[in-house]
Amino acid sequence: MATGAGEDGSGGEFYLRYYVGHKGKFGHEFLEFEFRPDGKLRYANNSNYKNDTMIRKEVFVSPSVLREARRIIQESEIMKEDDNNWPEPDRVGRQELEIVMGNEHISFSTSKIGSLVDVQTSKDPEGLRIFYYLVQVYPNSILASHHHKFHCCLSQSSVHCFFVAVLCVLYIT
Amino acid sequence: MAAVTNADVEAVDFDPDDDDLMDEDATEPTPAPAPRLRSTIAGGDDGPRKKGRGFRDDHNSAAAPRDSRLAGAGRADFDSLASDGGPGPVRSIEGWIVLVTGVHEEAQEDDLHNIFREFGQVKNLHLNLDRRTGFVKGYALVEYETFEEAQAAIKASDGTELLTQIINVDWAFSNGPSKRRNTQKRSPRAHRSRSPPRRRY
Repeated sequence: MATGAGEDGSGGEFYLRYYVGHKGKFGHEFLEFEFRPDGKLRYANNSNYKNDTMIRKEVFVSPSVLREARRIIQESEIMKEDDNNWPEPDRVGRQELEIVMGNEHISFSTSKIGSLVDVQTSKDPEGLRIFYYLVQVYPNSILASHHHKFHCCLSQSSVHCFFVAVLCVLYIT
Repeated sequence: MAAVTNADVEAVDFDPDDDDLMDEDATEPTPAPAPRLRSTIAGGDDGPRKKGRGFRDDHNSAAAPRDSRLAGAGRADFDSLASDGGPGPVRSIEGWIVLVTGVHEEAQEDDLHNIFREFGQVKNLHLNLDRRTGFVKGYALVEYETFEEAQAAIKASDGTELLTQIINVDWAFSNGPSKRRNTQKRSPRAHRSRSPPRRRY
């Protein structure tokens, strides 16, 4: 792609949405967040466990946060991937990643990924690994369904997901 | 601008019948409050390059309509940190969060503590690692109890050097939308090439 605005992580449009969820005995449990071009960050988390209700939050992030988000997407090279050969979403779960950056728009979906073993044994380990490292939400970092509140374990600093880290500092409970 | 009125939220909602926000064949003339994304992205001569199942799938297969998730019926239920006034820093639930970018990949938590404790007690500090490389990913999140501490940290340490790299220090959260400025703050960041050539193995 021609190097246009956005390639260096500064100009151009930017949008990111991530969803992970499944339908089970506690209803539709999911976590979803999105970063909008104007900096609006929205987050929703739902579990019907113990009659929990959906949690929705929103806040604006600073331009610095958006810039860093861009940089991380850029460096991950996720925009060069394709979900053609990724595992299809199934009953166990579904993940979606939608990103608009510069002149590119991806809307990937795949199953939940349990571990790197799932990545290695997939038909596109290289591409899926990028996805995995970029957005994988770790079961014990958030979305623990028995924690009805958004729960982040901030001490797990080895967990890398910029987007989740931003959410964590917002809503540490 | 009214920070987050219901109408405001609604204006940027995904239309449930038009799930593919930026799909070019969505010819249906969407009423005025069309998502900003569409107008900005698809407005050009050549639309964005699209890739992924999200453009092919029957979205009924999605676990639930998107509308009921992020932008569901109970829009009023959105808890918002933003309160009033124009754009400016906003507090997270726990404290004032400062984002540090341009952090050297070999920086240690101690390095950052040494810098940022000068301005007040650092209640939390996140220095995330790149899971693939094991090196610092490049950013840190620092939490202070008070606005003044955070502001002092930003003022004093933005643009300073840490392990040969210039760090940028700024608020993480804002109480209003960021305007697209052409004069995007691009302080002397000579460290763009910081990342080692390691993306593909």
